[in-house]
Amino acid sequence: MKRRKFIKLSAATGTAAGSGLGPLLMDLYAFQNSSKLSKVEAKFYKKYPDREIECVLCPRFCKLGDKERGYCGVRENIDGTYYTLVYGKACSIHVDPIEKKPLFHFLPGTPTLSIATAGCNVNCKFCQNWEISQVRPEQISHIDFPPDKVVKFAQKYSCPVIAYTYSEPVVFYEYMYDTSLNARKKGLKNVVITGGHINPEPLEELIQAVDAIKIDLKAFTQDFYTKYVRGELKPVLEAIKIIASSSIWLEIVYLVIPTLNDNPKELRDMCQWIANEIGPDVPLHFSRFHPHYLLKNFPSTPVSTLEEAADIAGKAGLNYVYIGNVPGHKAENTYCPKCKNIIIQRQGYIIAKLKIKNGRCTYCNNRIPGIWI
Amino acid sequence: MANSRVIIVRKKDISSPKGIPDLNCLVRMFKRGFSLLNGPGDYKKNLQILFKADDQIGIKINTLGGKNLSTRPEVPQALTSLLIKSGIPSKNIITWDRTNRELTTAGYRLNMNKKSIKIFGTDSRGLGYEQDLTSHLNIGSRFSSIQSRIVTASISLAIVKDHGLAGVTAGMKNYFGAIHNPNKYHDSNCNPYIAELFSTDSIWKKHRISILDALLIQYHRGPAYHSQWAAEYGALIFSLDPVAADFASWQIIEELRFAKGLPSLKEEGREPLYLKTAEKMKLGKASPADINIIREEI
Ligand code: SF4
Repeated sequence: MKRRKFIKLSAATGTAAGSGLGPLLMDLYAFQNSSKLSKVEAKFYKKYPDREIECVLCPRFCKLGDKERGYCGVRENIDGTYYTLVYGKACSIHVDPIEKKPLFHFLPGTPTLSIATAGCNVNCKFCQNWEISQVRPEQISHIDFPPDKVVKFAQKYSCPVIAYTYSEPVVFYEYMYDTSLNARKKGLKNVVITGGHINPEPLEELIQAVDAIKIDLKAFTQDFYTKYVRGELKPVLEAIKIIASSSIWLEIVYLVIPTLNDNPKELRDMCQWIANEIGPDVPLHFSRFHPHYLLKNFPSTPVSTLEEAADIAGKAGLNYVYIGNVPGHKAENTYCPKCKNIIIQRQGYIIAKLKIKNGRCTYCNNRIPGIWI
Repeated sequence: MANSRVIIVRKKDISSPKGIPDLNCLVRMFKRGFSLLNGPGDYKKNLQILFKADDQIGIKINTLGGKNLSTRPEVPQALTSLLIKSGIPSKNIITWDRTNRELTTAGYRLNMNKKSIKIFGTDSRGLGYEQDLTSHLNIGSRFSSIQSRIVTASISLAIVKDHGLAGVTAGMKNYFGAIHNPNKYHDSNCNPYIAELFSTDSIWKKHRISILDALLIQYHRGPAYHSQWAAEYGALIFSLDPVAADFASWQIIEELRFAKGLPSLKEEGREPLYLKTAEKMKLGKASPADINIIREEI
């Protein structure tokens, strides 16, 4: 893989260049592209006779013989030991505002050093990052970016937060975990952007190392998960409950796809479930779908559908409901549920106004849940 | 509609104690197999019906199993010699698989020389996977540019193995090696994915024949190599019907399992369901009544 190609990837998908961080590009350019995959033993798997293993990191529980790879394509059984092939092998490195994740109640306006490796443990037909999530690590450009370097980069580019994102961080668990511990020692925070397809034990351990998790809840029916995600809904709901009952911050995003997961009854059931099981204060983002990957023949979500969804969520008692991917929409602001004033005004990813002090609304002193500066 | 024919040509002790098959015997087996493809006939004529002189023939082998359990290099070598005798220029023949590393590990010598028989992997310089995604039924994949751009007529020269998920891996699943994301098609017993992938234009319109290397069969705990469950079977399996060829392979695996007192794949919940799906999709026959299996010893 050529360095130029890697830089192209960085620039094209977003970021470093777009953020005006020319020096970051220059620094990345100095990295040698790596042609080698990692061979770091995986954390969560069981060994069986005859060199067989079972991965217990995510609900797929891949059972693999020698030389086989899991569904995610980034873990391989080599002579009966299971390895992650993407430890320290970053394929995307950008500086993004935290609003882009989106995390709206977590250090607003903070730049995040955002990293990803190849691979994913589901296969959403609407994936926006399929070029990196649905490939094997040897099929795309990546550089050697071990945990200590990630942390140094975050410090150098004044990013108080590291985000594990773009593809599916669960599949690069060991890399994310070690980087998080390393970052924490230096006073940085860690956020995870995930589909939530992870088993309870690794999730509970991860929660000890990170500060916030954003879950993409892709629908509220198993049928949708079977047809369009190739995954399971139940473990995702379980993961949401585990995170909600922990001390770290949680936000939920729901990408609304016309005719597939926008049924009002389904949305009502989901909002009711969130209100009952998680509580009314978890931020819920309804995000606008645009045709992509294997769903190119579907239209973009009408804004009215998103507004209807937000209305349903409000009626279910949820206090912080957002509409995403619709620049300039009034529902990208945060309103105080008590006095109804705008307490965070957003213009795209820019924070135009912040009226929260010591975690409280500056107008009425109402406590606003979140992690604030 | 006529039954599908599957020709199983066997030669006892074809392989040396080190597992290396005798090249001359292989050539004889190929000749026999090709000559019986459409009823008794001439191997050359049958090859000339299958391939035109200007075809770019892709021989898709399976080298995932390393040195012990991959298509033996002597097998495509014997096949190639007969293709050339039937009038195909050597420069029009490519033996290929996913990666150069897997090919060399399995004992192949790479050759990218344009003027002779070529042996290389999709990861060779200037090749790789298509940028564009092929979206077809439940399949969303990038094809190896070897299969999508270079090859005009394809031979699946796979090996026959038990498979922990699909039940059986043979000629049809071999094409998982022609896409960038095979790991995405292993759930629900690889069904309907094996059949659906096979029905994409890049495969269905190019596939000419399944020839299965059943010299050594992994009949249990595949697809990885386990010597205690691998049998020297000494056979090549030929069929113009890709589904029937895999069906016959399944039957052989069941015979070997039965002989060793192992439960059937159905009993293990691994019956190769993809065969019925493929039959429903009219890719070939998967019912014993519709398949004539012709067994030959040489
Ligand atoms: S993390 Fe990957 S290998 Fe492990 S169970 Fe999930 S998909 Fe399978």
